[in-house]
Parts: sequence; structure tokens; C-alpha cells
Amino acid sequence: MLALSWMQGLFAHRRGRLVASSLGVAVALLASIGTFLSTSKATMTSRSVATVTIDWQVEAQPGTDPATVSDALRSTPSVVATAPVGFADTTGLTATTAGVDGTKTTQSTGPGVILGLPADYRTLFPDVIRDLSGATAGVLIAQQTAANLHAGPGDTVTIGRAGLDPVIVRVDGVVDFPQADSLFQQVGAPSASQPQAPPDNVIAMPDTQWHILFDPLTATGADQVRTQVHARLYHALPTDPVAAYDTVVRQAHNLEARLHGGGVVGNNLGATLAGARADALYAQVLFLFLGLPGAILAGLLTAAVASAGAARRRRDQALLRTRGATIAQLTRIAVTEALIVGGIGSALGLLGALAVGRVAFGTVGFGGSLRTAAWWVAAAIVAGLAIAVASIAAPARRDARALTIASARRSVGRARNPRWMRLGLDFWLIAIALAVFWLTGQNGYKLVLAVEGVPTISVSYWAFAGPALLWVGAALLTWRLTNVFLNRGRAPLGALLRPVAGGLADTVAAAMGRQRRLLATGAVLVALTVSFATSTAVFNSTYHRQAAVDAALTNGADVRVTQSPGVVVGPDQGAALATIPGVKSVEAIQHRYAYVGNDLQDLFGVNPTTVVGATKLVDGYFQGGTAVEVMGRLAAQPDALLVSDETVKDYQLSLGDPIKLRLQDGQTKQLVDVTFHYAGVAKEFPTAPHDSFLIANADYIARTTGSNAVGSFLITTSGSSPTDVANRVRNQVGTTAAVTDIGSTQQVIGSSLTAVDLGGLTRVELGFALVLAAASTGLVLWLGLAERRRTFAIAAALGATTRQLGGFVWAEAALITVVGLAAGAIGGWALSAMLVKVLTGVFDPPPDVLTVPWRYLGALVIVALASVAAAAVAALRATRRAPIALLRVT
Amino acid sequence: MTVVPPAAHADHPLVECHDVARTFGSGIRAVVAVHAATCRVEPGQTVALVGASGSGKSTLLNIMAGLDTPSKGSVTWPAIGDQTSLRPGPVGVVFQTPSLLPPLNVVENVALPLLLAGVNRTDADQLARDSLARLGLAWLAEKLPEELSGGQAQRAAVARVLAGTPQLILADEPTGQLDHAAAAEVMGALLAVTELLGAGLLVSTHDDAIADRLATRWQMTDGRLQTESDTACLR
Repeated sequence: MLALSWMQGLFAHRRGRLVASSLGVAVALLASIGTFLSTSKATMTSRSVATVTIDWQVEAQPGTDPATVSDALRSTPSVVATAPVGFADTTGLTATTAGVDGTKTTQSTGPGVILGLPADYRTLFPDVIRDLSGATAGVLIAQQTAANLHAGPGDTVTIGRAGLDPVIVRVDGVVDFPQADSLFQQVGAPSASQPQAPPDNVIAMPDTQWHILFDPLTATGADQVRTQVHARLYHALPTDPVAAYDTVVRQAHNLEARLHGGGVVGNNLGATLAGARADALYAQVLFLFLGLPGAILAGLLTAAVASAGAARRRRDQALLRTRGATIAQLTRIAVTEALIVGGIGSALGLLGALAVGRVAFGTVGFGGSLRTAAWWVAAAIVAGLAIAVASIAAPARRDARALTIASARRSVGRARNPRWMRLGLDFWLIAIALAVFWLTGQNGYKLVLAVEGVPTISVSYWAFAGPALLWVGAALLTWRLTNVFLNRGRAPLGALLRPVAGGLADTVAAAMGRQRRLLATGAVLVALTVSFATSTAVFNSTYHRQAAVDAALTNGADVRVTQSPGVVVGPDQGAALATIPGVKSVEAIQHRYAYVGNDLQDLFGVNPTTVVGATKLVDGYFQGGTAVEVMGRLAAQPDALLVSDETVKDYQLSLGDPIKLRLQDGQTKQLVDVTFHYAGVAKEFPTAPHDSFLIANADYIARTTGSNAVGSFLITTSGSSPTDVANRVRNQVGTTAAVTDIGSTQQVIGSSLTAVDLGGLTRVELGFALVLAAASTGLVLWLGLAERRRTFAIAAALGATTRQLGGFVWAEAALITVVGLAAGAIGGWALSAMLVKVLTGVFDPPPDVLTVPWRYLGALVIVALASVAAAAVAALRATRRAPIALLRVT
Repeated sequence: MTVVPPAAHADHPLVECHDVARTFGSGIRAVVAVHAATCRVEPGQTVALVGASGSGKSTLLNIMAGLDTPSKGSVTWPAIGDQTSLRPGPVGVVFQTPSLLPPLNVVENVALPLLLAGVNRTDADQLARDSLARLGLAWLAEKLPEELSGGQAQRAAVARVLAGTPQLILADEPTGQLDHAAAAEVMGALLAVTELLGAGLLVSTHDDAIADRLATRWQMTDGRLQTESDTACLR
């Protein structure tokens, strides 16, 4: 009965509603990021699965009839379609074609692979082959092979067969194999082995023709001919990538067991899901790094709102105790209050999370499945109740047990410094955080370790300790510094407050000094919120900046025009592109293939005087100098060559060493030796692959090979949308070249984690950070001031003017805001640097510097200041409105 | 530093109420706290405003202190000035409930009205310490309000009044929450300060022992003011 009366009183007052509301924020945040986690995991699975062109490549082992493998596959419930594919090795390909001047030349290549495809293959597996020119059926030659042989539709190619006479085929079309790496994988290779490069020379033909040409090879007994059965699976997999991966791997093992060693599964679906499960772990990590601090912060805010009424509650308790209430009764009241407030707050929070989930993630539930949704709802409610009990019931019980009735009526007190302060816990935490951070940065640290082929994946949760301890340590240090300053720095504080408080400055400073704990707590809450918002925003912008860098590296520029195989275009073509509206500049890049020893690498010919500005080269792309310096070396020495770090190590190169490359001559189509000199290391370059590549002077390459053919034109736009410019370019160049823009490239290269879900998470985080910033500054200040309305009423009754009362209010507001914003900015910067370092696996490429989102941070400061101003004005108004009534309250 | 009594216009009343009424709320919920009270306090006069709880004593006192505005009638301060010039300075108020500011120590509390009036900090501090010393409270100067007993806190509040050297002292049930001994000490302090300053004093109380120490007694019953013996208050 006592508890019921207490509850009625509680909700008749504003504070009870406020506690429930702030608790709702905590629950909403927790439930929202839970929704993010489960939804993103589900989308990761579906998005990963969608990218796989051939789910399984089951290779029939020597002595096993491929039909047996097909039968086994067809009897597997999850298999939807199968197709046998022949793989035959060729000793080399030769083509005799007419040059530009009509002279016939003969070109030869090294070994390659000839595929035999059934008639319905392209229907069953539509994304394995991409048509470039000519017919879509018949003998199809790979783009690079066509370039090597200078062959196109209608030309004949001679295919070498080991131990047999070569055979001649007529090319019907030129195609591309977008996922050549997995298509030509070595099925059954140990998982720890290095991935095998796909063959340089590939021809695909109908299986009937293939059998005629290559069945005789089987008779020679060599392993020149293999048959794989490609399979497409039913994609009703568990939403969690880890579970999906386990399912697919188990199914593959089951098939292999049923084939009794007669077939080995190349599990492309499993390999892709292995990557997705790493992404899922990263999502989990991001949840812990970015989401959990927000929820903790909202919890702290709830505790602060609840504790803003602590002095009044203690007085109420003291009153009840003088009337005979027992500790057990007081505890029951407090627990009841906590459960009711927690329940209402949780309900509000879940409603909020539903709205957030709908806006940010496009979901209407709390997760990918009913089970995960139920789990997250339950977890959020439990967290809400726990926060309520911790912030309302626990302090009430502690006070009821520990304090005397007389001391409970006190609200200011001369309490000793808290124990953590006497022990220097803040310094210890920061020192340990830095030590952990340093240690985790050593010895090839990897946050998420997902080894291919290994069912278990691991996260280095130890790395969390660094940022977490720094966050807590910095908060405690802020509390200590504020506390010490307010206690011992009253003279300078008084001087600082003179513009705000005038002649009352010293009195205001003294009052603030005695309320230093309350003010320090308020300042710390603001600092925590600002550092959380800052670090999240900086992480987010740095991430998006790096994604843009990645896209820029892949696409090369805002718009890229890549010439089709067989189409020879000189750099003068760039002048025509430069006239297209929206085009600012056009940079021609040569693209050739060059042999370094036996290794075929991409060679890019550039104009070193113009390429730096046109392609926005950054210093991080090169070793041993800035972009300008390295390109300066190319400009100064025509035969200079930039190589990859790996090539330098493989060939033990020193600066100035001569390097002989084999390049295809533009006229004769034969490989010719061209001497370059090693001039530096390139780690990245626009349009270049991630592995080894070479960069040289375009003029030198043109002179030594007799061809100035351009591989691609990199177009910088003049502020126009790259997509619009790309469309205009596309209209001009027609089908002779592929035109891509940076926006579409960014979508293509984004992983399942990066492309969609992180955007939603950071939107939620940044939105909540603004809400928390407003709450932590304004609400905490207002509650503190409201709690002391009687103090201000007394001052008003003694004759204080509104301006003089404002001195008290604005001084507190200024302290909380300035200390909170300053400490939050410093802490946020440190946390951002640490987060970016710890979460380095999320970034591709890793950032050189942090990207600061000034607009968001500006908005954050404005929200905080506006909230403080609103709170101060509201408190002053409330004080002036009813001073007499307040004076009668004890 | 010495306490200098204010220069009052001896022939003018300090406060004068004419048909003052105060109504809270409106319509059927309206509560009339004070009915047409007419009265005045002269310099040097000590008045006990006696009545039961809820009889309207505090409301009338607040109106006389300029803390509240009458719904009807008028209140003036002929010897002092208009309502805006009452506090801090000419009118000192002692409240029933603890009225020291919790985050300020005793001397800072006592100095506060002086600072609000524009006195510089050094002078205000000295005047505050003098006031405390006059009431024998110098030893409490550095204490925080929550470290004081109820009687000490009220005497400190009286010292605050003294520091402001008011012409009119209004005390609203200043001993209402105190035991007899503490109440006697507080009243002694109030009377001493009033005499020292030559000020007028009005004390609302329901304690006859307190009322007996004051020269004049007014009775408040259900919002209606009655005088008992002299001509200072007319009905």
C-alpha cells in the first residue's frame, strides 16, 4: 500500500516520467543495434550467396565416371541444377592474323585451358561468362587471350595438344570470365596453399566439339583432361552466415563421403560464406565498439536523471524513517519504483527501436527471424530493468542501510574524495589502455581471424580493452580534474566567472566548489557523450572516405572509359572526350601485359607530368617518396619503372637496376625485350590490381613497342554527377568501350558489411548521439538546477535580480558545457585514432589520417549549446514563477 | 565595520496596507487567504501577528515584504520607497523554513544580500562577520548550513538580516520548527537586531510566548485581521 502511494506520487512528478523516457532511449538504442546486428547478418548471407556464380565445382577424380558424380549431385536435396564441364590443358595457342597494314603475323601464347560446356550451361549458370563481342555461342575466346593472339571473331586459332596434333578452331566470340579465380581454381588444393592464378589463355567451346577434340587426350593417360560437375544449390540457408557456412560445408562433406573419394568439392558457396562470417564477426565487433558505448551512455544518463533527485529522495526516506518505515519497506518501494519505471521505459524504447529499425534498416521487426527478434526484445527489456534497478533501487537501498537519518537530510556535505580517486584508478586505466593498444598493434595483429576452410573463427576481444579502458579512464580523469579545479581553483574560477556573474562571481565560484561532485558528474556525462559522438562520426567519415578511396583506386577517376579488346585507340581520342559537357580533364593510361621473368604482370603507361593531378594520386600509394617526387623520377628518366614491393623482394632489386620486360610489339604482335630501370615502389595505383603491377612512361612504352594504344581514359568531372557524365560518355563511345563511374564502382566493390549495413548502424549511432548530447547537456543541467529551485527562490526572496540569478545558472551551464565539450573532443579524438587502428580490418585501404566530419560535429556543438541554453532559461523561468511556494517547501 | 542604522523617515510608516485582499485560484476553487486587511507598521514598532496555521499570516507578511502582490487593495512603503527598492536592503525577511543557501557557508550566506545590493566582496565579508559576531555566532562562520542545528540556522538567518541593516524586519514563523530554548534564542536575536537598527519588526507566530515579547499583537483569523490594543492597525 505504501509502495502504491509512493508510485502515484512519483508519476505525478516530472522526474519519474523523465527517468522512464531516458531509460527508453537506452533500451531503444540497445534494441536498434540488436536489430542492426541480426538484420545485417541476415543480409550478409543473402548478399554473399547472390554473388556466387557456381556454388559447387565437383571434380571427378581419375578413374571415376563423371556421370557418377552427376548422379550423386542430383540425389542431393539441396542441389537445383548440375552441368558437366570439361577442362583440357593446351600446350599453347597460335593465331595468324592480319595487322593494321594488312601484313599477316603469327602470334603464339603459352599453355592454357580449353573448356567444354554443355548447351544449357549458360542458362543454368548465366553469370559465369560475359559476352564482349561476336557470337554468344560456339567457340568463345577469353578477352586477354584474344588480345595476346590479336584474334577476334572469325579468326582461326590453333590449339596445341600434348602428344597429339594441334587442332584448329574458328573463333565465334570474345568473352570475359568475371570469376576466373574460382572457375579455374585447383579443386582439392590444401586450404593453406597460395591461391592459383587463373590461366592467361582460355577458350570455351560446346562440349560435343570439346569431346571430339580432347577425348583422345584421355587415351594418352596424362592428367591433361578433367571433368567437373558444376552445381547450383537451393539457397534457403540459415540467416546467420556462420550457421549458413556450417550447413554448406557439411553438405559438401556429405557429398564427398557419398562419392567415396570419387569426387572433390570446390565449395565456392562455402568460401564466400566464410568471408561473410568474418563480416558477421566484424558486425558483432562494430556492435560492441560503436553500439554498446551508446547504450551504456544512455544507461548512465538514466542513472544521472534518477540521481538528480537523490537528495530529495534521501530526505523523503529520512522522513519515512522518522515515521517508522523499515529498511525492508524502503527497499521494496525503491525496487517497485525501479521495475515500473524500467517496464515503462522498456516499452517506450522498443516502440522507438521499431521506428528506428524501419527508418534505418528498413525492417519491421527486431531481427532476421522470430527467434532472434524475441532474443533481442528480451535482452533489451532485461537491460532496461537492470539499468532501472541499478540507478534507482540500488542507491536507495544503499542510502537506507548506510546513512543516518540526520545525514540523509544533507545535500551538499564535505565528503571525502571517492576511493577510485584516492587510488588513482583513472591513471591506471589510461595506462593499461595505452599498453593494451600498443600490445595489440604488435606482431601482425588481426581483430577477426577467419581462416579459409577452418570452421571456427575468432575475434581478438582483448583489443576491446584498449578503447573501453581509455573511455572509462578519460571519463574518470575528467571527473578528477573538474573536481580538483572546482575545489582548489576558486580564485581563478571566480575571475573567469566575472563576465557572467559580476560582483557575485566569487560567491558563485564558492557555491560551485561545494557542488563540485554534481557538476563534475554533469561535465563527465557531456564529455562521454561528445567523445562517443565524435569517435563514431570520425570513424564513420574515415570509413566512407576510405571506401571512396577504394572506389577511386578501382575505377581510377570519376569516370573511366576502358577500351574493348581488339579496339586500338590512341591518346588523341581523349581530346574528343574532353569536349563532353561536365568533363574537366581526361588522362590516357596505357594498359599492357608484360612478363617479368615468367610472371605476367599488368603494365600501366602514364604521363608522369599530368597523372598526379588528374587521378588524385596520394602519397600513400608509393614508397620512398611522395606521389609528386616518384612521378618526378619517371618524368626525369624515360625508361624508369615502378614495381611492386613483392617484385623488389623476388628479384632483389636496388634503385637503378636494369629490368628486362617482355612486351608485345604493336606491329608484329611478338614479344620483344624492353629494358627499364627500377626507380621506385608503387603499392597502389588507380585501376591497378591489388597484387603485382608495373608503372612506366607511356611515351617510352609507345616508342619501344611501336604502339601508343590506350587501355583506358580516366575522366575527372567538373562538379557534375559522375553518373550523368558517364551516361554522356557512353552515348559518345557506344559499345567500343566500357564506361564506369565511381558511384556504381563503390556499390560493386563494397562487401556485405560495408555496402549497406554499416551505413544504417552509423545513421542510428549518429542520430542517438545527437539525442544523447541534447539530453546529457540540457537535461542533466536542468535537473540539477530544478533540484535547487528552492535555493534560487531564497536568493530571489533576498532580492536577487534575474540577472544575478542568471549568474548562478549560466556559470554552471558554462562549466558543464566547456569542460564537457573540451574533454569530449580530446577523448573523442583519442578514441577515434584508437578505434581506426583497432578496427583496421574494416578499412580497405587503411587510412593515413582521420577524416573529421566538421559539419556533424558543428551540429553536435550547436545541439549541445541550444540544449544548455534551453535548460538554463527554463530553470530561471521556473524559479521566477513561484518563489513563494518554493520557500514554503522544506 | 559597524552597523549603521538606516535613515528612515520617522514620521512615515514603514509599510501600510489598505483593504488588502489576496485570493488564490479562481471560480469555485478560489480561496481567499486575506480579507480586506488594513494596517501599518511604524519605525521602532514590534508587532506579533498571531493566528492559527492557514489563517493567512504568511500571505499578509509576504505582501508586506513585497514578495507577493495583493489581489485587491494597496500596499505602500512610505518611509522606504516603491516595491522594487525593498530587497535587498530596506526590508529584511526571515523565513519559517531553513533559508540559508546550502552550497554557501554561513558567512557567505550572511554576506549574500550585501553582494546582491552591490557592496564589494571585502566589505560584504567584513559586515557579515561583524553581524555574526554581534549575535555570538562568529564560530559558525565557516560552517555549511547542513552542519547547523535549526536554531543556529535561524540565528544565522537573523544575522543575515542584521548585515543588510533593514528598516523593516518581517519574520514568518521564525521559531515554528524550533524547541523552546532555541526559539527563545532566535527571538532574542531578532529583538536585539531590531533595537540596534531602530527598525520595525513584524513576527508571525502562533506561539503566545513569542507574541508576548512584542509590544503589539495583531490577530489573524480565517484571513481577517484584528487589532488588540493599539491604533497601529485599523479594521
